[in-house]
Amino acid sequence: MIERWALVSGLRGNLKTYDLIQRDLKKTRGVTSLFVLGDLVGPERNCDALLDRLKNPHRGDLKPDCIYGWWEEQLLAERGFRGERKADALRLSQGEDAVNALLNTVNPSNLNWLASLQFGFIELDCALIHGSSSDVGDNLTSETSPLILLDRLTRLNVNRLFTARSTKQFHLELTGGGINSQVKDLNGKREQQQEVPKRSVIGIGAGLNYTLYDVGSDKTHFLTAGSKTNPKRNGFA
Amino acid sequence: MSQTWLISGSPGCGKTSWILKTMLSHPGACGYLRLDGHSDIGLEQASNSGIDQAFLKDQIPQLLDLSETQHASRSQQGDLLALIELPQFHSPQHADLAGIDPRIKNQLEALQLQPDRHLHFGRDHELPSKDKLEFQKLESLNLSLNRSVWDPPSLNTFWFELVNGAYGDVYRAKALMNLPDGRSMFFNWIVSQESSQFLPLQEISDPNGRPASLSELVVQGKHLDCLRIQSTIDLCLLNDAVLEMHQMPLRDQQKEAIPSS
Amino acid sequence: MNHAIISCLHANLPAVEAVLNDIDRQGINTITCLGDLVGYGPQPNEVVELIRKRGIATCQGCWDEDIIDGLNACECSYPSQLAERRGHLAHQWTDDQLTDENKSFLASLPTSLRRDRLLFVHGSPNSQHEYLLPDMDAFAALERVETAGADILFCGHTHQPYVRELRDGSIRVRLQNADHDCDQGEELTLPMRKIVNAGSVGEPRHGSTNATYVIHNDATDEVEIKEVAYDVARTCQAIVEAGLPKVFAWRLSHGFEFAEQAEDASHVCER
Repeated sequence: MIERWALVSGLRGNLKTYDLIQRDLKKTRGVTSLFVLGDLVGPERNCDALLDRLKNPHRGDLKPDCIYGWWEEQLLAERGFRGERKADALRLSQGEDAVNALLNTVNPSNLNWLASLQFGFIELDCALIHGSSSDVGDNLTSETSPLILLDRLTRLNVNRLFTARSTKQFHLELTGGGINSQVKDLNGKREQQQEVPKRSVIGIGAGLNYTLYDVGSDKTHFLTAGSKTNPKRNGFA
Repeated sequence: MSQTWLISGSPGCGKTSWILKTMLSHPGACGYLRLDGHSDIGLEQASNSGIDQAFLKDQIPQLLDLSETQHASRSQQGDLLALIELPQFHSPQHADLAGIDPRIKNQLEALQLQPDRHLHFGRDHELPSKDKLEFQKLESLNLSLNRSVWDPPSLNTFWFELVNGAYGDVYRAKALMNLPDGRSMFFNWIVSQESSQFLPLQEISDPNGRPASLSELVVQGKHLDCLRIQSTIDLCLLNDAVLEMHQMPLRDQQKEAIPSS
Repeated sequence: MNHAIISCLHANLPAVEAVLNDIDRQGINTITCLGDLVGYGPQPNEVVELIRKRGIATCQGCWDEDIIDGLNACECSYPSQLAERRGHLAHQWTDDQLTDENKSFLASLPTSLRRDRLLFVHGSPNSQHEYLLPDMDAFAALERVETAGADILFCGHTHQPYVRELRDGSIRVRLQNADHDCDQGEELTLPMRKIVNAGSVGEPRHGSTNATYVIHNDATDEVEIKEVAYDVARTCQAIVEAGLPKVFAWRLSHGFEFAEQAEDASHVCER
């Protein structure tokens, strides 16, 4: 069977968005897995209904596999799930009000489930992470230096990294190049040449913007839930 | 026709390796016995740790234990090759059977064993002669490590330190050590050889708690610091909780391998 | 101008004295130290006080950090249970010995020092615990220097001195995003950068017992790796007299590290 993944992120408590994506997926052929790459919660609205739906899928829902994202990290840190760390990044960027707003959007009964979510998945030769192996908040975009993208791929030793933190949809493929390296030590000098490995970083989008990935053909389709966009238009080999 | 040979030589000369090779090329049944040698002045014999017996039994599962097998049942094995291993520092004063130490003769008679031949490493050319070590002074250390399981990289470091002289001048070291994956490793080292021999035994222990297989360490040398050897070993052995962490996934794999139907 | 870079002193006073004498003999006045003043070795207070007295610019190493913050190196920093337990024992001993004043000095050290285009760190710009080994992935190595905004990165931590030049690099990429129908190809030319590892003064691991350090000429960018013999027996005797494990003395006198280093060069502690 052809394997096709749906990759979703940045729902931030919006059950309506999730419902639209589930409806889309019902109409799309061959989707075998649904990965939700974090930011299930956010400060804008109460998130409990969405969390309940993710934990207890409706009949006919494609069952979601979730990991935690930047917003969960802030919430869990502030709620004491990360040792001495608090929601420092959120406090610094958006102030105390944003921290309080976030705390009020999730019922404490949902915290243990959020805390049980993993940092990422490794599926086949692909890593699925909210930011990158460097940090859950690592904001990788198509403008990020390819040197940094290559480093994030190398750290995980995978050929494809699916990331969500930037909220952007992009597929950046490393197609070639190399580097020379000369090492001098007490034993003398040696030269090394290294080629750029053929690897990709894929930004999956956020909210209504989500991504389908055909595993066998390595094709990504960038979609918007509820729109009539032809998925083939954005196909990328 | 049944044959009984006494094979003697100094520590690390290659007795057990030669015996294994000889038995593997013998078409009929094989029997084995390891005798305790007698210490000479300044030269302490390692006590019989059971390592050689356990190693040979693992390599040749049908091996007869000559200390337990009655004379009558041995004589029924028409082509039995019975090899008796004896640690002995000095070359016998007389050739062939006449050179057997009377104390050894008595021991063998009690077991109804009568050697047809006596071969000594360094004297008889039939045996390999690469290691003719003459020891003047030798201490011996035996440590029972039964039920102990090692952290593998720690074992690596300990063995490296041991044979390179961190705990005294070591001439000879051998051991059977348990690893958390159920394997038992045979370690064998002698000062005249460049590297250690590491051999996993065929028998693998179940991942259920501490293994029952024999685990011993024998070290021979000079100025051995037994207390420091023991204290380093204590830092390398796994406690129950860590052992369980290693064994749990192995049990899960076993379950997956056996269909539940 | 020539300046000297020393690292990983590990409380080995005879080695530190020998290296400083060697630097002084060459008339070099600028010295930078990349941390790990203490740990494993028998003279932590004496070494810290000598560095303070000489006013040597120093950044904090992983051992210095752990003495201040408590032992919080992640378990995966140690390659074996034996190395971990020996490390903890050495940590406890060092913690008991160091005076409050010397601890305050270690606590005051910055994690990096920068002089124009030169960056000085203990492990890597990411972490005091990350090993930049000479054969690590060349792109990842370049990323460490480039992201930190340096031309030359001076590091220690591995105890193996080396100079690595990364040049003629390029990466070709092809981009597709949701707004574009067609592929965009482009090529990024990578800058030439250098990583200089100063080796170790107090705990060498390059095959001999000699202390190592490096001299850099900031006009020509030439780097020289220096080896200095010192009185290893004096340090070994001090180890035994201090009540530290004798095996530390044995390892040091054979050119092995007191314990061992982590083997995974790409490992970054995420704590």
